[in-house]
Amino acid sequence: MLQDKRLIWRLQRGNVDALRLVYDKYKLDLLKLAMLLTGDVHRSEDAVQDVFLKLAESFDRVGDHGNLRNFLITCLMNRIRTLRRDGQRHQMAPLDDAAMQTAPVSPPDQWAVANEQMQRISRVMAELPVEQREVVTLRFEAGLGFPEIARIQNAPVNTVQGRYRYGLEKLRALLNSEVET
Amino acid sequence: MSSADKMRRLFDEGVVQTNAAPDDAVFEKIKTTYMRAVQHKSAQQEPGMWRSIMKSPLAKLAVAVAVLIACAIGLFLWRTTGSGIALADVLARVEQVRAFQCKGIIKRTSESPAGKPHVWEVHSINLESKECGSKATHKEIDPNGARTSFAETYFVPTKKILIYINHIEKRYIRTELDDWVVPLMQKEFLGRYSNPGTFLKEIVACKYESTGRSTVDGIDVEGFRTTDPNCARDGGSGFTDPQIDVKVWIDAKTRLPVRYESLTSGLDEKGADASHQFVVYDFQWDVAVDVAEFESPAIPDGYTVQVEKPWGAIDEQTATESLRKCAELFGKYLESPGFGPSVDLEGELNKSNNPAAIRLKEELKGLAGLERANRLADAALPMRRLLLFYMNLTNEKKDPAYYGKTITPKDADKVLLRWKLSDMEYRVIFGDLHAETVSPEKLAELEKTLPK
Repeated sequence: MLQDKRLIWRLQRGNVDALRLVYDKYKLDLLKLAMLLTGDVHRSEDAVQDVFLKLAESFDRVGDHGNLRNFLITCLMNRIRTLRRDGQRHQMAPLDDAAMQTAPVSPPDQWAVANEQMQRISRVMAELPVEQREVVTLRFEAGLGFPEIARIQNAPVNTVQGRYRYGLEKLRALLNSEVET
Repeated sequence: MSSADKMRRLFDEGVVQTNAAPDDAVFEKIKTTYMRAVQHKSAQQEPGMWRSIMKSPLAKLAVAVAVLIACAIGLFLWRTTGSGIALADVLARVEQVRAFQCKGIIKRTSESPAGKPHVWEVHSINLESKECGSKATHKEIDPNGARTSFAETYFVPTKKILIYINHIEKRYIRTELDDWVVPLMQKEFLGRYSNPGTFLKEIVACKYESTGRSTVDGIDVEGFRTTDPNCARDGGSGFTDPQIDVKVWIDAKTRLPVRYESLTSGLDEKGADASHQFVVYDFQWDVAVDVAEFESPAIPDGYTVQVEKPWGAIDEQTATESLRKCAELFGKYLESPGFGPSVDLEGELNKSNNPAAIRLKEELKGLAGLERANRLADAALPMRRLLLFYMNLTNEKKDPAYYGKTITPKDADKVLLRWKLSDMEYRVIFGDLHAETVSPEKLAELEKTLPK
């Protein structure tokens, strides 16, 4: 956290090295979160790139969001929701139904590369309703507490806990053999 | 291991990596956006790093200590390096100026009784000379179509005279001043609205901040700003919960004021939005002054000349006498505490059918010209004394209040005028003009019973 604060200070002073450090520190985490949430590598790449572009444009506002990691996660959630709404509006394949399109061996011009396990989890996560998927991802992958997730989802904490419980049950059923062994 | 832990392990086994070439390309795009944003925001203002730092209590303390140390050991260096402007230095420079000219605008916005926006605006040109005195030309501009005015005021301390020339009513009023009035006039009556030394002192006494470098009227300046309520012109009087915004811009080269703006806004006594704006600009420093102009301001042809005698002692006794005179003439007290030379006593008299007013009106019928004007001036003298008494109380911050708008001579137990003697005592003049000294608690009780 302290290191992040130092990064923010440097970032707010126009320090490109700080921008690179932030980028290297968080890009993989954000890509993984995005893949779990969208189930689509290209949309994940777009969403994460947009988040960093947003950071580059609004570097002076990061301090208002408590900490850098939460700022980036909140930006990512918002961006993915926007992409989902756009997808529905243009009647494109909705993100919920999108299959994982990343091959085990990705082309060299593709930014993100996911291993087999990642692809499999992403496909399973795509089976969950959006709200449950968000809660499970934010809890498991981002390590956020329920109050923080409730703030992001703009929902009561009880509702968020219910979504988590239902999400886990469904995941358990879908991953039955691996979880039980 | 629980199923939740097993599931977490499965999540952990999912790994994402990036290819180097597209990774660099993505970062280059982000970097370009960042550099552009940094450039744009630096042009607008300093980055918000300071705000982030100051969120930490520890950092606040550290910065406070650093500032104190810097103030203690580095003020002299700071003043002389040219890296910033100290308002105290500006004030010292202003006080060295022998004569200057400036323009001023006073603008009041409020609602008329009919609920329509009402604007009152006065433009002035002021000439201040340490040797000769003050001269101000006022033009009242009324966009609402009501009466406008055009007048000049000369204040000559060496001769102890105040001359007021009303060009609309063609009146020339010469007032001879008591010795004790002269410094008061210098400090409060004229200096308050035209002397940059006065408003600089007000800002320096408040919490203020630099607003940085800019250009005003083609001059490179450094700006300063305060929103401290103590810096309000007239203390934001007449406003409920006044909001203050005071700015001054200082010439980076000469270190003298270029422009001053004061805006007080809030709710007036009727609960309507109101504001009071005061602007001083177009300063010309160390201008040449024609001494002859102040020796004897010419009386324009066809103007009525009026001479007012010295006001005499101004104290509780003369103030009470002044209130008694008001009650005799008008059968009530004036809505505001007394009036200045621009208010038409004759107009007030015409509204009254009290015996004293009828006698004075009869007397005036037999007079003409200068005799008539001087008789009117004599009759108005008590009201001038009352105004001066009240202004003294205000200037001395004695917390005065006047309730002539609602209290009549019949209200024997109601507060008409009060002021503070000490933290433990207030002096009160009641509606029947008897006076008492009361505690603040007693005063609060008395004021609770006042009509709204």
